Amino acid sequence: MATTAPEHFQGHVDHHGHADHDHKPSFFARWFMSTNHKDIGTMYLIFAIIAGIIGGLFSGMMRVELAEPGIQYLDIFARWFGATNPDFNSTLHVWNVLITAHGLIMVFFMVMPAMIGGFGNWFVPLMIGAPDMAFPRMNNISFWLTVAGFISLLCSAFVPGGTGLGAGTGWTVYAPLSTSGSPGPAVDFGIFALHLSGAGSIMGAINFITTIFNMRAPGMTMHKMPLFVWSMLVTAFLLLLSLPVLAAAITMLLTDRNFGTTFFDPSGGGDPVLYQHLFWFFGHPEVYIMILPGFGIISQIVSTFSKKPVFGYLGMAYAMVAIGVVGFIVWAHHMYATGMSVNTKMYFTAATMVIAVPTGVKIFSWIATMWGGSLEFKSPMVWALGFIFLFTVGGVTGVVLANGGVDDVLHDTYYVVAHFHYVLSLGAVTALFAGFYYWFPKMSGRMHSEFLAHVHFWIFFVGVNMIFFPMHFLGLQGMPRRYPDYAEAYQHWNHVATIGYMVMASSLVIWFINIAYAFLAGRKAEDSYWGEGATTLEWTLTSPPPFHQFETLPVIEEAAHH
Amino acid sequence: MILGKTVRTLGEAAKALGLYSVAAMAFSSSLAASSAIAAPAPEAVASYTPMKPTPGIGMPVEGGIGLQQQFSKLGEYGEWIHDGVLMPIITVITLFVLLLLVIIAVRYNRRTNPVASKTSHNTILEVVWTLVPVLILIGIAVPSIDLIAKQYKPAPKGALTIKVTGNQWFWTYGYPDNGDFEVVSNMLNLPGQPTINNGVREVGSKPWDGPSHLEVDNRMVVPVGEPVRLQITAADVIHSFAVPSLWFKLDAVPGRINEKVLFVEKPGVYYGQCSELCGAKHGYMPIAVEALPRAQYDAWVLTHAGGVIDGQAQPAAAAPAGAPATGAEPAPAASADPGAAATGEATEAAASTAAASAE
Amino acid sequence: MAGTKNHDYHILPPDIAPLATTIGALTFTSGMVLFMHDMAGGKFVPWLGLAILIASMFMWFSKIIKEAHAGDHTPVVQLHQRYGMILFIASEVMFFVGWFWAFFDFSLFPSTLAEAVGGQWPPKAVEAVMDPFDLPLLNTLILLCSGTTVTWAHHSLIHGDRDGLKKGLWATILLGVLFSCIQAYEYIHAPFPFGQNTYGSAFYMATGFHGFHVIVGTIMLIVCLKRAYNGDFTPRQHFGFEAAAWYWHFVDVVWLFLFMAVYVWGGWGYPTH
Ligand code: HEA
Ligand code: HEA
Ligand code: CUA
Ligand SMILES: [Cu+2]
Repeated sequence: MATTAPEHFQGHVDHHGHADHDHKPSFFARWFMSTNHKDIGTMYLIFAIIAGIIGGLFSGMMRVELAEPGIQYLDIFARWFGATNPDFNSTLHVWNVLITAHGLIMVFFMVMPAMIGGFGNWFVPLMIGAPDMAFPRMNNISFWLTVAGFISLLCSAFVPGGTGLGAGTGWTVYAPLSTSGSPGPAVDFGIFALHLSGAGSIMGAINFITTIFNMRAPGMTMHKMPLFVWSMLVTAFLLLLSLPVLAAAITMLLTDRNFGTTFFDPSGGGDPVLYQHLFWFFGHPEVYIMILPGFGIISQIVSTFSKKPVFGYLGMAYAMVAIGVVGFIVWAHHMYATGMSVNTKMYFTAATMVIAVPTGVKIFSWIATMWGGSLEFKSPMVWALGFIFLFTVGGVTGVVLANGGVDDVLHDTYYVVAHFHYVLSLGAVTALFAGFYYWFPKMSGRMHSEFLAHVHFWIFFVGVNMIFFPMHFLGLQGMPRRYPDYAEAYQHWNHVATIGYMVMASSLVIWFINIAYAFLAGRKAEDSYWGEGATTLEWTLTSPPPFHQFETLPVIEEAAHH
Repeated sequence: MILGKTVRTLGEAAKALGLYSVAAMAFSSSLAASSAIAAPAPEAVASYTPMKPTPGIGMPVEGGIGLQQQFSKLGEYGEWIHDGVLMPIITVITLFVLLLLVIIAVRYNRRTNPVASKTSHNTILEVVWTLVPVLILIGIAVPSIDLIAKQYKPAPKGALTIKVTGNQWFWTYGYPDNGDFEVVSNMLNLPGQPTINNGVREVGSKPWDGPSHLEVDNRMVVPVGEPVRLQITAADVIHSFAVPSLWFKLDAVPGRINEKVLFVEKPGVYYGQCSELCGAKHGYMPIAVEALPRAQYDAWVLTHAGGVIDGQAQPAAAAPAGAPATGAEPAPAASADPGAAATGEATEAAASTAAASAE
Repeated sequence: MAGTKNHDYHILPPDIAPLATTIGALTFTSGMVLFMHDMAGGKFVPWLGLAILIASMFMWFSKIIKEAHAGDHTPVVQLHQRYGMILFIASEVMFFVGWFWAFFDFSLFPSTLAEAVGGQWPPKAVEAVMDPFDLPLLNTLILLCSGTTVTWAHHSLIHGDRDGLKKGLWATILLGVLFSCIQAYEYIHAPFPFGQNTYGSAFYMATGFHGFHVIVGTIMLIVCLKRAYNGDFTPRQHFGFEAAAWYWHFVDVVWLFLFMAVYVWGGWGYPTH
């Protein structure tokens, strides 16, 4: 049993020609009071794209500053944020604000909303044959809380945060820099940003788990679910169990800052390292929260364009479960330099390396899915192939960092920055673009230009590698992270990285043109525009799907053995 | 122009990726052989002049793509694990994945293979690609765990202790075994940039100055060839004491004292930088470790008010009175007040007198 | 047929409650920032936010009750609600894991921060702790007792005994309120301060968040009582009640851990007050 099953899905739904029966609510009701998973998904995607552009602009500001040693632009940036005549400290503070905002925006307001809120909302119900999410109204507040969190974060940039305007603590918000080290309201706004969006994510997680467990169409057993749905299930559990710990940790920050507790204040017996434990207990699962949905997207795409069922379906599903479980017991590999005991360090070294095994299962199963297939290099597939390679590069440098003794020299250097951008900016973001090109016509009803999508890919691919590959060299040479200025010896590779940023940025322009093209001149998309390889339930619906789909539930027939 | 340079170095990088680990191993072993010669002969009379760093040693090199050359046993071991074990393994894994992707793209596209197979299982294959990574990882874990164990060997009883304290944004080094004086270490101002540490001199104004962003007014001086116990803490927020060429990085956490052995094999100046975000000037609190033979170290100790060698008894070699005055350029002395150390020759002279009169 | 649903799931019309609730939450958090930094509006905006928050939640939950009466809560929707509540409680458990983590870090490893706490737990500055077998024990008994009274209410409900339902709920609510009052009394007379050291921090924040959950649980039970008087709940369908009861049991279990860890073990051998 348990093949990928999707190919046997038969949607017994009569939907054609009835789209005009969908009575859509008025504009305000539809977009501000939405209880429709597809509309909410769309809002999440638009929100994520806006946040991605802002986060991307911040990284551009960082890259121009880093193009040469010395401080060139921070002073100008400080004025943009509203500082008048910034002194040197508040100029430098802008750097910390930039990296903090960049990290938080990309993680919490770009990748997570796009993957989970956007694609998850759109396609989990469609793929399991459900009419909507289990809690449609709660779905809406998940979105709005994310927006509220973003607003709170933006507010923080304009109020004092210690040596200058804005929260300059790094996205990890380590105490005591974030407590006694940052007087002023900025960090409090930042903390509340995490509270708000975190509450939204927890509710989202509850929604996804309930939906996936209870709303599968008749006949769709757990072992017949598409892998994207599996990935969302595991992700939701990670969110549900890790975010509350972060909530507790940042609440301690808040009371330490404002109400005199001493959780992280050594003068009252508190322990700054405790904060790091709590943060990373959340933080490490968080990195898998950002990548697992990407794994799911890639599985769908690879299978579609190979015209083959996914190889080793069960192994693929349970590899994600394994990654999720083991992901909870490796957190302190971010803390090798804090002075923990030798045995702890050994344990976390060993435990961390274990995760490479299920991840390898995934990489090799994708390859085996394609092996013997009849590949079509449509745009989503090209992005997916790019993902597999780039994620491998990022993953193996993770294994290097996992070695506590080696991390002693690499921790907090650009090697780490290179590692996590390979898995995030080149991994998760590439998966996002793959999913975007895969599903955009389904969501919008319009075909994008395949040509432009390919050009977008290749320029992006060259650009991001040029930004981030040299960072490995910088890291090995010892360049520390979170520095606005550096010794001359680091100039060469920094310069290359900044040029790479320009290349990458031009690819995004092509992406925007492609979207505009699709809406203005794109062909109308058919129901199943990728052809026979696409077998999951969303392809049985029109493009875009009706406002309410599956009003009669599809029935999944028992898979014939083969 | 920039692009040309970029392309050239990218080419180098690509070449290096393949050959790098082998080359690096050969390189480091040849260095180990030559390192014995380089040590300057310990001077008989203890006078102290800050050492002039060797370009490219103990600091990053322009356009460099690998680890900094190592100057400690552990560092050489760690370098070997990285260059000799990890790098080759991850390079091979990545190239293997790339190779498979290329084969697939060539052999199994729509034109060459119009009809897709339906295979979706192969138990043996699945077991293999689970077990082989396990074995590889065990292969990595063995030396890696061994390295961790060695790093944590506590210092021998009599080892010199230095107290390192991170402050926003400078380091202080306390020498409890040598009369408990304290060295305040600030980064030198960068020429043409806004003043970084009020009053501290500009980089390049002394013959012994090292690279900008890395050189400090008062270095942390340690004896070479013996284990030194560093006790690291912080006064305000978390900092991190890191010296890449000595394979050393340990956080300075307020309220905690982190302890680890620093061992420098060869005299020289080794630069590092604060490696934990600590606020505005996180980028401007470098670390400079100057490793000197015992005699010169002792002489350096004596340039400080209250500097004491081996408890009370002075070794004959370190003849006290008048000695510091003979040096070409006396060391800028440490002072509890970072501003005071910077006021130039006057303070330096005063400090050496103080050192002399302390006897 | 399009436009007609042929399934038992709950498809909702557009609703303003989520946006209203969010506005309340954002106003509250922003107001708290103003309050904490003594900025203009700090005395007023948090209350405004709280008011919006509570009002919109009231609106939201009233709608749910209406929908229940309208028959929207089919068996599968009730199953959703069960899952939802269990998962919510699971996330709450993890929230408390955070606070217990802090507590055990301080109490098991006081030596890493020897200077401030004297290398001991409770820290040297703490001269006396609460006697766990005084009011805290009483509170434990009260909560345990309230666990049984809520079960009494539940069984009455299942057997159609409306009177028992109300009595059981009354008893539970009164016990809950009693617990909160005793807790407040205890806080006022505690021999150690809120801030200043880890003992007070861990103690007050952990028990304080528990206390907050008790209050929320009590409100949930009061709503149930009101609904019981309104004639809501049937022996077969009363998930609103069950959710409140589950929550109450969860709060109860957290207390047992707090009592054993923070009060009894955490103050072991210390002079009591
Ligand atoms: C999507 C996000 C993501 C993902 C998936 C990962 C995946 C991994 N990460 Fe990464 N990591 C981050 C995001 C991510 N990380 C971030 C954001 C940080 C920095 C946070 C901060 O400080 O700001 C970080 C930091 C970080 C550190 C701390 C570094 C430091 O600060 O000093 C470490 C150390 O162990 C680490 C390890 C790993 C490992 C072992 C994996 C593994 O899961 C990788 C597994 C994958 C593979 C290994 C490749 C495929 C496998 C095969 C082809 C099979 C064969 C392979 C072998 C036998 C090796 N990561
Ligand atoms: C997902 C996470 C993510 C992403 C995508 C990026 C993207 C980029 N990052 Fe970021 N970065 C972080 C997470 C991320 N980063 C984190 C966590 C840190 C650490 C912060 C800290 O130290 O506290 C960091 C730090 C960091 C540094 C180090 C700063 C320092 O230590 O001093 C630098 C330096 O160059 C950098 C550069 C860049 C650049 C040039 C990009 C470019 O690739 C950006 C280009 C933009 C995109 C590629 C996004 C485009 C996407 C969309 C527009 C949305 C698409 C949506 C759909 C398709 C639906 N980043
Ligand atoms: Cu000190 Cu960073
Ligand atoms: Cu991690």
